[in-house]
Amino acid sequence: MNDPIKFNLTGEFDQKRFMGELGDQYRIKKEPVKTETIRIYDTFDWRLFNKSLVLYQCAGRLCLRKLSESEMLHSVPITSNPVFIWEFPNSKLKDQLTPIIGVRALLKLVEIQSRFRSYGLLDQEGKTVVRLAYEEIRSSRSKDAPVLAAQVRLLPVKGYPKHSQKIGRRFEQAGLRVNTEDDIYFKGLKAAGKKPGSYSSKVNIRLDPDMRADEAAKIILRFLLQVIRVNAANIEKDLDTEFIHDFRVAVRRTRSALGQIRYVFPSKTADRFKKDFAFVGKLSNELRDLDVYLLKADGYKAKIAPVLRKDIQALFDYLRQKRSMAFQKVVRGLKSERYAKIIKDWETFLNMPLPDSPVAAANAEFPITILARKKIYKKYRRVVQTGRQILENSDDKMLHVLRIHCKKLRYVMEFFTSLFPPEKMDNLIEQLKRLQDNLGDFNDLRVQEAYLLTIARELPVNRGQSEKIFLAIGSLVGALGRDRQMLKDAFAQTFANFASPENKALFKDLFAVQPSRSKP
Amino acid sequence: VTTLAIYSNKGGVGKTAAAVNLSYLAARTGIKTLLCDLDPQSSATYYFRVKPKLKSGAKGLIRGGQQVFKSVKGTDYENLDLLPADFSLRNLDIAFNKLKRPPKRLRKILAPFKDAYDLILLDCPVTISILAENIFNAADYTLVPLIPTTLSVRTHRQLLSFCKKKDFDVGRIYTFFSMVDRHKKMHRELIAAAPNLFPGVLPNFIPYLAQIEKMGIQREPVVVFSPGSAASKSYQELWDKVQKNILSNLINKTYSVIV
Repeated sequence: MNDPIKFNLTGEFDQKRFMGELGDQYRIKKEPVKTETIRIYDTFDWRLFNKSLVLYQCAGRLCLRKLSESEMLHSVPITSNPVFIWEFPNSKLKDQLTPIIGVRALLKLVEIQSRFRSYGLLDQEGKTVVRLAYEEIRSSRSKDAPVLAAQVRLLPVKGYPKHSQKIGRRFEQAGLRVNTEDDIYFKGLKAAGKKPGSYSSKVNIRLDPDMRADEAAKIILRFLLQVIRVNAANIEKDLDTEFIHDFRVAVRRTRSALGQIRYVFPSKTADRFKKDFAFVGKLSNELRDLDVYLLKADGYKAKIAPVLRKDIQALFDYLRQKRSMAFQKVVRGLKSERYAKIIKDWETFLNMPLPDSPVAAANAEFPITILARKKIYKKYRRVVQTGRQILENSDDKMLHVLRIHCKKLRYVMEFFTSLFPPEKMDNLIEQLKRLQDNLGDFNDLRVQEAYLLTIARELPVNRGQSEKIFLAIGSLVGALGRDRQMLKDAFAQTFANFASPENKALFKDLFAVQPSRSKP
Repeated sequence: VTTLAIYSNKGGVGKTAAAVNLSYLAARTGIKTLLCDLDPQSSATYYFRVKPKLKSGAKGLIRGGQQVFKSVKGTDYENLDLLPADFSLRNLDIAFNKLKRPPKRLRKILAPFKDAYDLILLDCPVTISILAENIFNAADYTLVPLIPTTLSVRTHRQLLSFCKKKDFDVGRIYTFFSMVDRHKKMHRELIAAAPNLFPGVLPNFIPYLAQIEKMGIQREPVVVFSPGSAASKSYQELWDKVQKNILSNLINKTYSVIV
């Protein structure tokens, strides 16, 4: 009831006359003209837009609202531009955005200028009962900049609903219409040449079920190349850790696609690019590991005894130093001739017309759906088989092997999602994800424990603090070991959920190429 | 939500002036604030230029529930709302007495506001009856303005022993000196001695100033119409202290470190 109502101003509307007439009934308090810069933020992958949220900075405050609604959800005072959510002042706004934004940096999408004048309408007591704000929004400070919106906002004052209703009716009588639809968000972004939702790292491709397998593979790989390109271009800016992460995932998916969608390209070509992308992936292995440790720093600190928390800081300082060297190495790698050549050759290959039939590569002319079914079903059975072996004889190495099988299954399911019923695919991928989380976390802890023990040897320490830092690292290794055991204990149940008879039936139904026939 | 009562069992000590200025200062820091004018004389309501009128009067208030929201008025300041007074509040004492479990009723009346606001300030009438018990039950903290005179100190001691007898936590009662005249020897001496006489004494005081009385003409918090004045500074200092000493939980929870 107290939400502001926006009316679009029209050429016919005479503001002076309208305000003059209101002056017969209200004392009018005219405020000076103000200009405000409004900055709209989102992450590179549009996490806020995808949740229909608008985050903007205006007049020293950071404000959150729903897209196409003017009601503010939360706001909080800030003194510097927002970048990472953990730097935000504690507030409801922070609580709501933390799970959405995660580790991504906020980027300024667009800056728009609002020029407005407010009026207070006062009753006989001199109390403000309604506020009006005439506003003009331009894409820049310059007077020639195009006007994106001209509107008047009617701001009701709590406890005085009759007055705002009356003024609202008068605006309508004067020919103004309530603006409920178009959000300045879209106009501002359009003026800046940005398209909301234009990037996502998720595999989002549509394949035609009868398509030739080599054609489908190229569509998938071209999409992945695009993700590689977009992220590589941003890595050097070091805005957040996700550019490198998304880049790596796309490289890994590329390798996986080359390895799994087999015999669709000449084997010499496939082998060459498999090697090339293995090289590209390796470039950033160290950087990614260090990023993970540093992102987890607070979590690690919470795991060790409070008396040692201060002492472990030296470890993270050292890792941060190493990170900046690793980062430079990646930047150099991405600028190298070898990298440029790989990407160029790869693009040339992907854009080459498909060879005419008959093609030497055995699977090239196969319909993609059949190939997809075969591959997914085979991978699924491999996962189940390996999982069963682990249940009988739980071995850390086998858990690692299973993790790799799961990853391969996940990638092929994602490549070919569009060929199968979406709800069933989402459900199966979601269940697979749960198993992968268990295995992934287990593996991360194993790697981290080993890494901590190695790093302890090369850590430069000052006299006096040396014993304590080793105690702190020891305490952390112990805590990680306990976590790892817990994950291992949870494996049996997690696996049983995935390998359930229902899922088995679903996999069989969707992917088994030849339905098993009863013997005569 | 935290509830802070500005209360005194002695009249004319600067309660309302404190309530109006503190609520404004709280709202200005971004804290969603509701000022409840419980005094039938309706001075706080007058200062904010609102008509002293509750929907269905004191009866409606006592009935409680979501209906009380309809009486709330937005002030001319961001984040600050007012629950206006009503002349019928003069019978609040009698009305409370007729109820079951009378001393807890005010707490129940304020309950619906707890999600909508971070801070509720109560501007209380002079009382030490069942209404006072209601106030102590409803408030998390009580702030008592005190004129530095022997009589005031005596009254305050009466209040503290009343609270002890009724089992209210005396540790949640704070005082500050109000209408202080530094030219008077007794004022100076009592201010110096007070921390030894009873607990909860804030070191700040509000001087006796004509600017504060002008609030009646300006009908605005003094902090608004005369921001650079000595009066404004003393209220600002008092608010800083209240925020730090009394409301630290609230501040940490909602609006801590502004980076």
